[in-house]
Amino acid sequence: MKHLNIERRRPKIGVFDFTGCEGCELQLANKEDSLGAFLSAIEVVSFREVSSDNGSDYNVALVDGAISRPDEVERLKEIRQRAELLVAMGSCACFGGVNRLKNAYDLDEANREVYGDCPKQTMPTMSVKEVVPVDLEIPGCPVCKDEVERVVQHLVWDLPLPTYAYPLCLECKQRYTVCRFEFGELCLGPITRAGCNAPCPAGGLGCWGCRGPAEAPNYDEFFALTAERGFDRQIVRERMGFFGGFDHVLAELEKQEQHEAIHDDHA
Amino acid sequence: MTQSLSFRPYDVRQEHEMNEPLDFNRWAQLKPVAKVFKAMITNVIRLTEMEKLFHLRIIDDTERERFSFLPGQFVMIEVPGYGEVPITVCSSTSNKGFIEVCVRKVGTVTSVLHRAGRGAKVGIRGPFGTHFPLERMKGHSILLIAGGLGLAPLRAPIFYVTENRSEFKDVHILYGTKSPDQELFDYQYESWRRIDGVDIRIIVEKPDERWKGPVGLITELLDDVTVDPNETYAIVCGPPVMFKFVCQRLNQMGIPMDRMFVSLERRMHCGMGKCCRCNVGSTYTCTDGPVFDYWTVMNLKEAI
Amino acid sequence: MLFKILPKEEFRALVEMILEANEVIAPKAIATNARGERIHQFLPIRSFEEMDLEYKSTEYSAKTYFLPYRENLCTFEFEGEDWQQSIQYYIQPRAIIGLRAHDINALLKLDKVFIRDRFPSPYYISRRKNTFIVGLDHIPEEDEFSRSMGTHIVTHGFDLFLTDLSDRYFVAINSDRAFSLLQKVKTRDVADADTHAYLEVRRRIRDGFKTHIEVHSLPNVLDLEFTSKVWTKWGEKCLNCGSCAAVCPTCYCYGVTEEVTMDFKKATKVKQLYSCNLVDFARVAGGHDFRSDKEARLKYRYYHQYRGFLEDYGEPKCVGCNRCGRVCLAGIKPAAVIKDLYEESV
Repeated sequence: MKHLNIERRRPKIGVFDFTGCEGCELQLANKEDSLGAFLSAIEVVSFREVSSDNGSDYNVALVDGAISRPDEVERLKEIRQRAELLVAMGSCACFGGVNRLKNAYDLDEANREVYGDCPKQTMPTMSVKEVVPVDLEIPGCPVCKDEVERVVQHLVWDLPLPTYAYPLCLECKQRYTVCRFEFGELCLGPITRAGCNAPCPAGGLGCWGCRGPAEAPNYDEFFALTAERGFDRQIVRERMGFFGGFDHVLAELEKQEQHEAIHDDHA
Repeated sequence: MTQSLSFRPYDVRQEHEMNEPLDFNRWAQLKPVAKVFKAMITNVIRLTEMEKLFHLRIIDDTERERFSFLPGQFVMIEVPGYGEVPITVCSSTSNKGFIEVCVRKVGTVTSVLHRAGRGAKVGIRGPFGTHFPLERMKGHSILLIAGGLGLAPLRAPIFYVTENRSEFKDVHILYGTKSPDQELFDYQYESWRRIDGVDIRIIVEKPDERWKGPVGLITELLDDVTVDPNETYAIVCGPPVMFKFVCQRLNQMGIPMDRMFVSLERRMHCGMGKCCRCNVGSTYTCTDGPVFDYWTVMNLKEAI
Repeated sequence: MLFKILPKEEFRALVEMILEANEVIAPKAIATNARGERIHQFLPIRSFEEMDLEYKSTEYSAKTYFLPYRENLCTFEFEGEDWQQSIQYYIQPRAIIGLRAHDINALLKLDKVFIRDRFPSPYYISRRKNTFIVGLDHIPEEDEFSRSMGTHIVTHGFDLFLTDLSDRYFVAINSDRAFSLLQKVKTRDVADADTHAYLEVRRRIRDGFKTHIEVHSLPNVLDLEFTSKVWTKWGEKCLNCGSCAAVCPTCYCYGVTEEVTMDFKKATKVKQLYSCNLVDFARVAGGHDFRSDKEARLKYRYYHQYRGFLEDYGEPKCVGCNRCGRVCLAGIKPAAVIKDLYEESV
């Protein structure tokens, strides 16, 4: 940075967790070889996992977890007001994540199932961007530390933001991974955003789409090719619904089908 | 029972080995493709809100002496850590010691370049690509037509023409921008007009209160220009939609399409005809272009 | 070119000899697919047994050993207000055993781009020249069409090329290093019976092709059918995943990005093989996209394969291995697309 005669910024970062497992926050403390440099590039003002500081003069807020309680909505709005830049981190924050599965059930029933006799105040799970405007998203379950580093580098030095417009398949190919469909398994790779370096297919598990959709995925063809390979429509949709990244597509699809069903009835 | 035998390593760094045949009848030569010349930003001139002009001086004396380019050629400018961008050299070819590049702030690399100050060191690869065939144009009238940022790639040919003014007949510079505040190099128009005897006309789409010149599209400037179509060459730089209309108009005026030259812009990652990012149909913008005659461009699929 | 007969047990000795001192890449069975067939890939082997020369085809080509999917082009080290660039070319010699004729022809095409073009690539040349190539004939798979592309026979670009004559190999020797290596094992001269047997195999290979495409008028048809509905039909299917280009033995397009360490002391320029089917391939800074729809991108790839490359290098880029057709989840197969185009143009 010095070589360009540009002053570097040192963003004050606050990390905030909502409904989630905090695995993404643990990822932040991961990758020991560069952790020192990572933490010295930024100023951590508030971060429960690595520091007892609890300041409120942050200008960048990293938010992980989904929003599932009324008090979380208030807290998030407050954070949004203080932060110049808000980054949604992880599939829960970006899409609602696994927590969103709750939305398919009756709220009280879900509450009883989880908390038994001591029910908690709850509401349908939302992603961060459904509550407040989000500036940047880092999807993934958990997030990839490399990508978080790239985002921080963008904030500190204006380095280009990582953009992964293409689907996961390319990263499988780079790793010499045999396509999971070859083994007769389902994989959301062809529609899911790359950037995680495809560890799941390499480890023998078809993609579950935790990073959400790639840019302009070909859903029609994806549904056709999974059907052609004998995957039950419901199973494909359930897989797509798991992390919430494809919810808007599924909702659109259902609307369309309802419309068609009505149409058929009339016919 | 087996004998050990390891292959003799082939060391690419030793240049003479590159002349060895890969197999029968085949040979190759090595050029350092990824090596950049280190250059210092010696001056930064703010042209408009979006564009800045950079003076770059290659630091190594020998490399600086050796570096030469032709009007219309581009260089890859490397900002270490950030990436590389292709930029057309917009200074005079007779300029020794430094080159000028006009950079519009559009992406991350150009944005960080805009923030870089004097004394900053960047890398240069090149020059790459084809050039405007100005030698061939000598003895003819010349139309130099630019729209918007197109004046930057046109500047090197303008310098060439003005520096060799006696070898050309009538020279017209026609320049159109959206608004007067987007004009590039406005401090040079007077000298081109008065010292070099060039007819220079400027038109804007949206005038401000101080604007006294014509208002409209660049093609309207051609209404008042009379040239002998058999004795005229044209160089047209600007966005594709602009040069398409201009070239069609010039063709109606009777100028053959292979006497009009345009410069194409594409995404580039190598500049050497390898990465395929700049391909138009089967043509590499970086090695077969960026300068094409209009007949060729017309025949390139998806060029315009 | 010299020809010799190499008994199979001697071939084994030869491979073991190479293995002792060099990295060896060979087809290796790594798994069984849903249909019960073995899946092979070109991977490093440690023993002769790990190699499976009975393989039918590999999911990926061996391209990555010449054009790695990811490769560091250079590094910049920052020191205060200055930086230094350093470039490293890979130079460790190795051998690849079992490449098909079409795969070697694919390398010859890449040679045209990376060695014999205006800007030879030292990265490629280093890998190419440091790779000892042992080719191997095969009876074609049903979907291969390398005979149409004229790539089922290879006459150079390798060190050794083997044709299996059941108990022995008919060997073509094409380099001095291969010749010296063969001195270390027992070979014998080619007898008439060997030549007959060899020609018989060549006939079986030639007649083994079941898929054909018409190549000679293809550039013309592609020009005529530039706006054909065929592109819409197949373009609609394309997933834009880039798998076809990734497994293709000749696709070489790439993107370059820089990776900076967290302390900003070092930046690495990384080259990553890309694909013209990926959604942002032709997008420029500022957002304009020169090929913004699926159809245009798919069409562009076919044009480069069968027309553009031909214009630049005098031959099509495709070698007819059909790896792209097999890997494509949407079932886009070059033979089918081209057949459609021909039907459209009549």
